[in-house]
Amino acid sequence: MTAETLLSLRGLTVRFRLPHGETVAVDGIDLDLAAGEVLGIVGESGSGKSQVLYSLMGLLAANGRAGGQALFEGVDLLSLSRRQLDTLRGQHISMIFQDPMTSLNPYRRVGDQIAEGLIVHEGLSRSAAQAEAVRMLDRVRIPDASNRARRFPHEFSGGMRQRVMIAMALLTRPKLLLADEPTTALDVTIQAQVLDLMAELARETGTAIILVTHDLGVVARLCGRVAVLYGGRVMEEAGAQALFSTPAHPYTRGLLDAMPRLEQALTPRLGTIPGTPRSGGGDVIGCPFAPRCTERIARCTTERPAFLERSHLGGTRSAACHLIPEVAE
Amino acid sequence: MLRFVGKRLWNGSLTLFALVTLTFFVMRLAPGGPFSRNRKISPEVQANIEAAFHLDEPIWQQFGRFVWGLLHLDLGPSTRFRDYSVGDIIASGLPYSLTIGAWAVLLAAFVGIALGIAGAMRRNGFTDYAAGTVGVIGIAIPIFVIGPVLQVIFAVKLQWLPVGSWNDGWRSLVLPVVVLALPNIAYISRLTRASMIETMRENYVRTAVAKGIGPTRTLMGHTLEGALIPVIAYLGPATAAIITGSILIETIFALPGIGRHFVDAALNRDYPLVMGITLLYGALLILFNIVTDLIRAWIDPRLRNAH
Repeated sequence: MTAETLLSLRGLTVRFRLPHGETVAVDGIDLDLAAGEVLGIVGESGSGKSQVLYSLMGLLAANGRAGGQALFEGVDLLSLSRRQLDTLRGQHISMIFQDPMTSLNPYRRVGDQIAEGLIVHEGLSRSAAQAEAVRMLDRVRIPDASNRARRFPHEFSGGMRQRVMIAMALLTRPKLLLADEPTTALDVTIQAQVLDLMAELARETGTAIILVTHDLGVVARLCGRVAVLYGGRVMEEAGAQALFSTPAHPYTRGLLDAMPRLEQALTPRLGTIPGTPRSGGGDVIGCPFAPRCTERIARCTTERPAFLERSHLGGTRSAACHLIPEVAE
Repeated sequence: MLRFVGKRLWNGSLTLFALVTLTFFVMRLAPGGPFSRNRKISPEVQANIEAAFHLDEPIWQQFGRFVWGLLHLDLGPSTRFRDYSVGDIIASGLPYSLTIGAWAVLLAAFVGIALGIAGAMRRNGFTDYAAGTVGVIGIAIPIFVIGPVLQVIFAVKLQWLPVGSWNDGWRSLVLPVVVLALPNIAYISRLTRASMIETMRENYVRTAVAKGIGPTRTLMGHTLEGALIPVIAYLGPATAAIITGSILIETIFALPGIGRHFVDAALNRDYPLVMGITLLYGALLILFNIVTDLIRAWIDPRLRNAH
């Protein structure tokens, strides 16, 4: 762990107790995030990508348990009490959720909701916090911010509500912003606008971002580094450029083949990954992607591939696959 | 706001008029009348009495007379309690029912909501099970069982409180208020618990938790508002029902409220008294529904422009 490492996940697991046993949502993830860095986490529905964020924020459902380590500036978030966690979340770690339509309290004025964090975390007076909230609303380009702050969420459009969420999340100048599919619920025409705004403001405050998404276009646009999740494990992690140009893992390749590209507009069909996504279930012995992998060998179903650095493939890159040689051949 | 209240009051008066009209005619369709008794009286006397109360007039004329009286706030004389007007009877009984009912509603709301919140916050914990048990007991055991049992314990054995009547100041109030509140405590706590659990799953509550503002602020500032809306919707009509008296409570504790008149008047075919009490209950029901709507609009801004 280098001096500027902000967040370091070591063997992070998330398990849910169910009436008929246990399901593993996140199955031993190692990831590092430097201060100010933008990391994308991509994966299909059920790959455990959102649960990674929830576990860091202490927001897992009541039957969920996080294991392993999540070191934020050297402090293990998973070992903190609720009270200790409250001194970090909302101030140094903020989160933006998927659905802006339901993520704001419908009964309270938008300005009050934004200001609340400042009042609690930085001890500002109500009026000072309100003024900060208005200033922040202005920065997320809500027109007529001082009047808008006195309005209720239902008087805002979806895109505006998500900008309110961004204002709320970045108001305390957090070191880490967790964004859980922040634009999935928004109109396509404003998705890019909202994302760019989020990234721009985060850059100004020096905030690192973990951006969870299933949209590879979003990743290409914003992220310096990408981790590809499948079945609760990281399949491959690399710089965004390197990952898109030379995907090493069979799953990453399948994912990229399934993405429409402008230059291939005349190709009759998009690539598909055969089979159905793995979702939940108990422990997996081999590689979770093995049942759907077209390049599967015998080892894949019997032995868990280690998540190892493969720097010989160019840049800093790690992957978990038996087919990728561990050293240059 | 004023326009909303005005409109609701106007609509409420129309509803109330429909209610009394219906009651007036349905009651007269029922067999028997105020003066048809087993006791034999001569036809002449019968006719005289009925003429004195205008019961010999055609029904539409009686209805006109009733509406005319209503417009002058005169509900007419009771046919059962000679020399008393319906207004007198309601005015003498209502304060007792109102006092007991208002305390019972307050007690039920406070205790019920507190138990419901405690249960939802520590689900399956001791408080939750304790509140659940109280809830089942409160709903399952009728007032006419709990009332006498409490009388035996607190009045007869321990002698802390009077068995009944209205002569002991606040001490007379305790047992009837508690017994009247109990089923409502049970219902309100169940309602609050379910509503709290549902609200705690809302995304905006998750946002509040993620802000790190702490459990108390999350509860008071975010969860509670939404969770209380169904409880308030229940409390409005329930308050109207509770403060207009309960025949069981008033019989068990020998209280001079108006609850027993509800039943007595109908059994005795005391037409004017039935009309008066129906009117009172209907008016209170409509009034408390308006109050409920105002409180809900005060909590939920989305309802404000809808009116």
